[in-house]
Amino acid sequence: MALRGHATIQGSTDVPTLYHSIHGYMPAPTVLKSHNTVEEYLKAETLPTGYWANTPKFFVSYLKSMYGDAATKENDWGFGWHPRISGDHSHMPMMVAMNDGRVKGMFAMGQNPAVGGQNARFQRAALGKLDWLVVKDNFETETAAFWHNAPEVTDGSIHPADIQTEVFFFPSAQVAEMDGTFTNTQRLIKFHHKAVDPPGDARSDIWFTYHLGQRLKKLYEGSTEARDQGLLNLVWDYEPDPEEVAAWQIKDEPSALKILREINGYTSGKPEEHLPGFAALKDDGSTTCASWIYSGVYPKPGIENLKAASRVPDGGGGGSANLGWGFAWPANRRIIYNRASARPDGTPWSEEKKWVYWDPDKVNPATDKPGVWTGADVPDFAAGKAPDAKPAPDAIGLDALSGTDPFIMKADGKGWLYTPTGLVDGPLPTHYEPVESPVPNVLYPDQRNSPVYKRWDVDGNPAAEPEDPAFPYVLTTYRLTEHHLSGVMSRWLPWLAELQPELFVEISPELAGEKGIANTDVVRVITPRAEITAKALVTRRMRPMQVAGKTVHHVGVPWHWGYQGLVTGSVTNDLSLMVGDPNVTIHESKTFVCNVEKA
Amino acid sequence: MAIPAQANPVATPTSSAQPAEPPTGSQVTPPGAFPAAPMGFFTDTTICIGCKACEVACKSWNGLSADLFTLSGDSYDNTRELSGETWRHVQFIEQFPEAQDRVGGRWLLMSDVCKHCVHAGCLEVCPTGAIIRTEYDTVVIQADVCNGCRDCIAACPFGVIEINPASKTAMKCTLCYDRLQNGLEPACSKACPTDSIKFGTIEELHGIANERVQQLNAQARDAGQPENAYLYGADDSIVGGLNAFFLLVDKPEVYHLPSQAKLPSKQIPTASALGIGGTLGMVALGAVAFRKRRMDDFAEEARNGGEATGDPLPPSSPLSEAPPYPPSGREDAR
Repeated sequence: MALRGHATIQGSTDVPTLYHSIHGYMPAPTVLKSHNTVEEYLKAETLPTGYWANTPKFFVSYLKSMYGDAATKENDWGFGWHPRISGDHSHMPMMVAMNDGRVKGMFAMGQNPAVGGQNARFQRAALGKLDWLVVKDNFETETAAFWHNAPEVTDGSIHPADIQTEVFFFPSAQVAEMDGTFTNTQRLIKFHHKAVDPPGDARSDIWFTYHLGQRLKKLYEGSTEARDQGLLNLVWDYEPDPEEVAAWQIKDEPSALKILREINGYTSGKPEEHLPGFAALKDDGSTTCASWIYSGVYPKPGIENLKAASRVPDGGGGGSANLGWGFAWPANRRIIYNRASARPDGTPWSEEKKWVYWDPDKVNPATDKPGVWTGADVPDFAAGKAPDAKPAPDAIGLDALSGTDPFIMKADGKGWLYTPTGLVDGPLPTHYEPVESPVPNVLYPDQRNSPVYKRWDVDGNPAAEPEDPAFPYVLTTYRLTEHHLSGVMSRWLPWLAELQPELFVEISPELAGEKGIANTDVVRVITPRAEITAKALVTRRMRPMQVAGKTVHHVGVPWHWGYQGLVTGSVTNDLSLMVGDPNVTIHESKTFVCNVEKA
Repeated sequence: MAIPAQANPVATPTSSAQPAEPPTGSQVTPPGAFPAAPMGFFTDTTICIGCKACEVACKSWNGLSADLFTLSGDSYDNTRELSGETWRHVQFIEQFPEAQDRVGGRWLLMSDVCKHCVHAGCLEVCPTGAIIRTEYDTVVIQADVCNGCRDCIAACPFGVIEINPASKTAMKCTLCYDRLQNGLEPACSKACPTDSIKFGTIEELHGIANERVQQLNAQARDAGQPENAYLYGADDSIVGGLNAFFLLVDKPEVYHLPSQAKLPSKQIPTASALGIGGTLGMVALGAVAFRKRRMDDFAEEARNGGEATGDPLPPSSPLSEAPPYPPSGREDAR
């Protein structure tokens, strides 16, 4: 189970906003591999053994969801129209490309890089290179206001007249003002109903995206350019049924249920024939399914059949799966790889905690023969595969796994302690110092940093030299309970704003003593990127560390403040460095170096 | 928080326990209300995570304003104190040793609130009758009767009450009297994600609290650590008992609570021999019997439709002022 930090961030990777995946964790088509045809893509991306052997069914059904009737076997299911990635398009390299003028426009929806981005001042400069910027959010965020209220504008370093970006702001509807689903970290999909119309011009994200798509399709109508055919053939019909919007003033709100139907899947050409689950998917174009892992969430038409809206608890005490409460992908399994809850011989490891186990006497309804996996949960295993089953040497797919191989998404069915391939810096983790560090790497004196970390050596993103005496302290940025991320959902709310009203810098009494800083004094925090001011919070919760024979002070700075909102403060991320880990480009703002002086 | 009214929404783990047989029953409570019985909060400070959800839920339900937007410099506590606009206040008490490894350091967190005292100083001194004892044994200031004289502010031994700048009247926690009268748990305990704030009848809360003290002290014993968990205000030793009582692991003063709370009536040198006898007798009866009698008064009041006919509240007993806490051996190391 992945630990997730935001509402429905699980959902946003399942039906992804990730650049390197398409729905259901299939790799995004890329120009860097042989992905010229569906056949090439499937050859490159299909594992021969384990459940991913079914990738052709998932992928063709996905292309049918993209292009509908226009996707045919003859035109390779429209695969040629599908966008390709061409490298690392994650956030930081995208902002670097933007700063270089290689990105012309940006939609920021529920995102506030002017505060939340690493080296935020650099990122605000990049926003100023755009032709257009659309911000859709609850309030005029720092990203929306970067051109008139950022510190480099108010201090006169940059004049709004010199910023070329045309900025559009659209107010957002809130969660209770729209139908939709959340997917939590347990992969549990739960539907929520619209309770009220949003005020004024505020609209949901799907309203905005749907109507934008409609207008774009109209703009390109009649084009015969090959590059426009993907947009023109894109399935984009989520008009609400009249009864869906009867109670509301907003009559053109797209149907969340129709979008979910496409995610769940249906018989191609017959949207009313919902698919019961991903086992029904075909690779011949006869099924349409956007995200195979969600298939089964909406097995029949009608809200009463939407499993994500179901709220039927088991009752009684614990130890049951509550399979009628929402829908957990895949196939409503509450714990994946749950065959591992039984011993190799199929009996529960613990009678008290038994979950899924082999019942040799119970009849398998699929085969009418005795012997089936059963228990509280939906078994995540071939239902009739006995614990002592052995695969044939030439078997493919799930048949290649034995009765003791619970991890069915792995080619060998085993649980892995580490991944032998795929990691840039694998296979096993080790210790490197951060890019900026006041101490040497005591484990590898000759190799300070990871040799493969990602760094953008561009103007405005300088790093401190190793053990630079000008920046002797380690800085960690973090969040507070009282605020959410860049503060758009908390610094505008008086009851939350008063709980943590001002940016502060936590330092130990030892460091405060060295620097002549008293509690609540205003201090300057300085890095090679920027300097900010904040109040000192002197506390023994911070402690000096002894590293490599010297005292290293640790400075803590939350990052919720910005120049918009009810309470404002310096942008902590102006201090941080754009640097990424080699595999998934996670930044390093938990540890970089700084200096602190009394202001 | 717009929480729809429900018939039986008490969501605390104690909800299945039957409340004490109310002496007055539905005679003094509107339909859908909790039955009249002493009710309150048990705040287990050992499981408070300092999220301040109680503060926000309180302000939201009671329509109280945010009033202060400056950093206090006192740990993560920018609320500072209870006031007319702030009826819940989470204290952050840092106890970290000077030694650089900070070994043994801890952060005590405690959500403070009006104690709804059994002998309420505020109620004793209120000249207008604005402060009432409810059918739940809670103490409520009626804003439309309060004249803002401030006597109650001085009379409260816990510094709970202040003037609300919007209404210009004295205000404090009502233990969500309006919610109780509609069968709803108070907003703060409803919002508390760890059940550090527990709501229920005093009788069931006492049971839960005693079990928790025993559990914590057994854990400490097993770990060879001092058994320092105790209840503050659960018995009658502090102003006759507190309907909002606390589980603490250090001396009361560490949490800014008095170990010997004083009532204004103690300053009045008029206690007759008869009065002292009555007080001693009351101590012998114990707080539960005392409460029961007062609830009987409510019943009689309801039946008569007028003034209660019971005895006036006796002053707190001088015999009950032994410190309720065990020696902790810990000092506030801030």
